[in-house]
Amino acid sequence: MEYKVEAHRIMSISLGKIYNSRVQRGGIKLHKNLLVSLVLRSARQVYLSDYYSGACLNAQSEREGNEWDITDSEREKFPPSATECDRVESTEEPQPNEQPEKEREYRENDDEVKSDQVDCTSTLQEQNQNSSLDSVAKVSSETPPESITEPKESPSDSAVAERDSTPEANGESHQPPKPYVCSNRKRSAEESESGDSPQKRTKVASSNAKEDEEAEEMDTSNVSNLITIFGSSFSGLLSKESAKPEAEAEDSGQICCDQMLKNLNPWSTAIVAF
Amino acid sequence: SEHACAGFYQNKKTFFSFFFILVCDPADVISTVEFNQTGEFLATGDKGGRVVIFQREPQSHRHFIGEYNVYSTFQSHEPEFDYLKSLEIEERINKIRWLPLHNPAHFLLATNDKTIKLWKVSERDKRAEGYNLRDEEGRLKDLSTVTTLQVPVLRPMDLLVEASPRRVFANAHAYHINSISVNSDCETYLSADDLRINLWNLNITDRSFNIVDLKPENMEDLSEVITVAEFHPHHCHLLAFSSSTGTTRLCDMRASALCDQHAKLFEEAADPSHRSFFSEIVSSVSDVKFSHSGRYLLTRDYLTVKVWDLNMENKPVETYQVHDYLRTKLCSLYESDCIFDKFECAWNGTDSVIMTGAYNNYFRMFDRASLRDVTLEASREVCKRRAVLQPRRVCVGKKQKETDVSVDSLDFRKKILHTAWHPKENIIAIAASNNLYIFQDRLTPNGHHNTPEIQSAPPKWQTQPNPPTY
Repeated sequence: MEYKVEAHRIMSISLGKIYNSRVQRGGIKLHKNLLVSLVLRSARQVYLSDYYSGACLNAQSEREGNEWDITDSEREKFPPSATECDRVESTEEPQPNEQPEKEREYRENDDEVKSDQVDCTSTLQEQNQNSSLDSVAKVSSETPPESITEPKESPSDSAVAERDSTPEANGESHQPPKPYVCSNRKRSAEESESGDSPQKRTKVASSNAKEDEEAEEMDTSNVSNLITIFGSSFSGLLSKESAKPEAEAEDSGQICCDQMLKNLNPWSTAIVAF
Repeated sequence: SEHACAGFYQNKKTFFSFFFILVCDPADVISTVEFNQTGEFLATGDKGGRVVIFQREPQSHRHFIGEYNVYSTFQSHEPEFDYLKSLEIEERINKIRWLPLHNPAHFLLATNDKTIKLWKVSERDKRAEGYNLRDEEGRLKDLSTVTTLQVPVLRPMDLLVEASPRRVFANAHAYHINSISVNSDCETYLSADDLRINLWNLNITDRSFNIVDLKPENMEDLSEVITVAEFHPHHCHLLAFSSSTGTTRLCDMRASALCDQHAKLFEEAADPSHRSFFSEIVSSVSDVKFSHSGRYLLTRDYLTVKVWDLNMENKPVETYQVHDYLRTKLCSLYESDCIFDKFECAWNGTDSVIMTGAYNNYFRMFDRASLRDVTLEASREVCKRRAVLQPRRVCVGKKQKETDVSVDSLDFRKKILHTAWHPKENIIAIAASNNLYIFQDRLTPNGHHNTPEIQSAPPKWQTQPNPPTY
């Protein structure tokens, strides 16, 4: 998850630079702001791609309910892979994975990860996507060190995660290295907070809508909000004493931030300022 | 010490042995350095809008190298305020280019972010005396009392160097000017800002032609900016410009009036193993220089310098790593803004050696034939008069020699962005913040191998008859 923290940090630094450039002597440097916005965009992609694969998907699960049909059919293709995943999973976690739902998730995860691997360029990619067992096994073995640290997963998360990030992957000509992992760390916390998240989202979204008319104001308020949010969430991230409080702090920051990020076009703010 | 010197000279590891001959200390950070076409003059521009010109003394028997002394100083640009945009326009001189005119006077173009000025620098060493129109106190005489015709006589006077602005080329750039380049036809020149390149006639100030326009219809679609532009040294119809995306384009002005369509595009495929958040920034080209022969292009990006053959677009013929050890530090360099530093590069007169600056007051030279390279330092501590520069080495891990410098101890505030090489001889000018260093190779072009003095004598600039005043 370090890359996500890194992406977070780079985003806040970039926004700070864009903000500061407006008060610099000599006016805004177009070249520098363009480069900063590219970095911001890359970091944002990395950050959001993992966001969709991790948190906040319970709220989206109703919308994405039809995806279950597809994943069911894919599930049937790869029954043996479940054991592979379970085996790998069990080496990471002390409790063996007994629930059949979990088995399905892992298989779907692998399927989704596989399909994404076809589309986007990630450092974890392997060439041959067709051999099911081999590729799934490879994926399982690659992802655990980074992500599979928590036993619990919500079913909808994995399915939606990879789908949502695929279009992003397709749409971009070049990608920062995006490890496509089953990042399950935040899901448990998300489930517990699923009741809270829609409220938070609404609150932030409305404040955004109000400020939309004044682009300049949106700039500064978004930036200052983001910076305070990053500040609070980082303090939670840095202390790794327990997974739950860490995830909570991260989530609250994430949810608010993410709404901001969806509405914030970094380049437009820089251009408008210029 | 003579012995060590001779050994150093023959040392196969270094092909240059420079010694330091001048440093001057203007009040402001130097922002551009440029030799004129003969190398007799060296112009520097600084952040305060001033231009300082040095002239090389003729070589005498005592000094086997000609030393550079201050010739003229003048204020070229002043800070301005754009009331419409509520923006201050910095007076910092971004570029100076000499005009190749064969005249007793010298002409140079100096530009800040918005305005280009043509300066005439001329000498006056004679004064007309003997007018009989005024009395001793200087009052005009009553003309009826003047009965004889007296022709004034020119008498020598102390040399006076005057700089006067002859042309002001203004209001043609909406964005910040980054380059100017004089055409080989000596009649036109180009000026480039972030999005546009304009063509001027040196004699016409109220009109310029736009020849490249990268501005998109919707600024939100902006994907690249122009970073540097330069005319070909011999072909008056060819120009090159580089962009923030790491590409360099060659344009032919004969093809069409607007050169948005390039004749050639020089771009190397990015190395996927080096992909990071900062790949775009690191690939942005910060300088472009045609070789003197006109056959090659030199481009500088954050970590490398590359030599391109004009006949091959898909990859450079040579790539030199300037400071590859920074590749793992890009994030902190981004935070400190160092990653946005724009380093220049230079060819030597025979196009056999390439030079560029780095951090910690280091600059690097690459010999193209032997593929040897050297890192040298420009700092007051090591540059005693006539001392030979010792090569430096940056190590990533453990120090192998005592003189090695670890990457973590590099001072990133000390950066050498601007360097220039004499067009004919092995004399280089290095700008390190507000200090100008001039180094000359011991092996002079005419083959004299005079024994240099290693003893550090008081720097000459302290005992000059006319110390630089700023």
